[in-house]
Amino acid sequence: MANDQKHGSVGGYILVALILGVITYFEFAIVEYPQAWLGTTMTFVTLAVLSVIKFVMVVMFFMHLKGDDRMYSGFFSSGMVIAVASFIAMTAMFLLPRAMSFARTEASLTQAEGEAGGHAEAELDQELVDLIESNGRSRAAAARADTPTPTDRGVSVEAPRAANDASTYEVQGAGGGELAGPEVAEAAAGEEAGAADAAADAADDAASDEQAADDEEQPQEAADAAAPVEWDRAQGEQVYNSTCSGCHQPAGQGIPGAFPPLANHAAEVYAAGGEEFLAQVVLYGMQGPIQVAGMTYNGLMPAWGSSLDDAAIANVLNHIIAGLGDGAADGFTPYTAEDIAAHRGDELTATEVHDIRAQLGL
Amino acid sequence: MSADASAHAETPAGVGQGTITPSGWRSTKLPDVKLLMWVFLASDCMFFGSLIGTYLAYHDRSLTGPFPADVFDIPLTTVSSFVLLMSSLLMVLALHALRSDDIPKFRLWTLGVAAFGTIFLGFQVFEFVHFVNAGLSIHQNLFGTTFFILTGTHGIHVSVGVLWLLAILISSYKKPTSSKDAVYLEIAGLYWHFVDIVWIVIFTVVYLVEFV
Repeated sequence: MANDQKHGSVGGYILVALILGVITYFEFAIVEYPQAWLGTTMTFVTLAVLSVIKFVMVVMFFMHLKGDDRMYSGFFSSGMVIAVASFIAMTAMFLLPRAMSFARTEASLTQAEGEAGGHAEAELDQELVDLIESNGRSRAAAARADTPTPTDRGVSVEAPRAANDASTYEVQGAGGGELAGPEVAEAAAGEEAGAADAAADAADDAASDEQAADDEEQPQEAADAAAPVEWDRAQGEQVYNSTCSGCHQPAGQGIPGAFPPLANHAAEVYAAGGEEFLAQVVLYGMQGPIQVAGMTYNGLMPAWGSSLDDAAIANVLNHIIAGLGDGAADGFTPYTAEDIAAHRGDELTATEVHDIRAQLGL
Repeated sequence: MSADASAHAETPAGVGQGTITPSGWRSTKLPDVKLLMWVFLASDCMFFGSLIGTYLAYHDRSLTGPFPADVFDIPLTTVSSFVLLMSSLLMVLALHALRSDDIPKFRLWTLGVAAFGTIFLGFQVFEFVHFVNAGLSIHQNLFGTTFFILTGTHGIHVSVGVLWLLAILISSYKKPTSSKDAVYLEIAGLYWHFVDIVWIVIFTVVYLVEFV
């Protein structure tokens, strides 16, 4: 063909493939045999540069975009630009609010601990910068430092992602016995301390968070107290996992700024006289801004009255109060199906439920 | 452009190559199918861009394991990435052979591309089975959901490419094939290389970066 030359030769193709293969091996090598002198940031940069080189080589020489009509490259690069732009927008959309709500949570906690404001702020900024620069990895690393790998089947610790929820560690021993939160959280954090760099920080965090929790409310050591009373734990957990955990998260720690935590908070509401209110929230939902642990939540809790029966609501409430976080405080009487049925006639709106919550003085 | 025009003159009308149509001159003077393929690839860029963005947005947000570092096997994925890269080499060789009217080699290399693509898919199936056995299903955690949707979508692209190449291979036995049909192999090749470059990105962003 007349335009054979612009399509390259067999030798050229093999050379390109050889280079691509060598680059792939090199990428593999720097990950598999980490080079201390390279450093983490430079390893990232090297990997990014190498994969961009591979990308460009394939597009230029195998797809013949180099030397082909410019209209093809025009179409393709416009698609690439939109792809990269939406990629950046999406990453920013997810990571920035996450970083900021994390920072707000930290701020409220720090204030609660009565630390020097200026110092705390400087630390916060650094944390925010780290988080953004690392695409959210820095916090995750800290959070994971006190989360055992799933291979540790003996004890599973659900580490909450938000710092204000460090008191909501859900710990289940192999025998299903529940342990008091703070001790185990500390033990878990301590255990991992040698394993990862971030663990020291995490242990500090956990310790100080417990301090804050202790200051705010009496430590709830009553995990045992809930044990003697019978209710369908399996159903409670099952309903929680299928209906509630999508928003309130598996360990009930919620998502800062979006969905309030249930672990410990539900027990707190119950202790504040919210026994009937909790049943009403699940039955009729709730709409309107609320404050939990210094953070405002303005979401919509759907009404579950029509999709869950009385027993399911009773069991899931018992699971939330007694099974999440540190468990129920003294004086918790598990809900029964009758307790829920008694509120079926209330016929409240989500806003009315919000007003009832306000009357509890929370 | 003028060089292209002479190339087009060799092409019979009605195979998407022509610059002259019953309604007159085509302003792009480019083969429709090839232009369309590049437009499709541009849209596929956005598609995969969003999927990779979603994977990263939810990265490290899984509350329960298995986490990526628990299940990824870098040596295995390196080998499968290498296989896919080499299939791209066979792809350009097949196109080169067809353009030179070397039909036996064109068939050999096309079969090779399909075979390498199938090997890559085999690695992926092996990996998926291994992950599921390790407790990572698509609904286990955010990592599982975003990972399986991203790599699964890529795997479907590879499967489509394999079927496409096999169809081209079979049709080369059913009707005479020559360098005049190269544009059809070329667009299949464009698609194939695109699937390869998407994997180049996934290999780095999803797999390698996890262990830095």
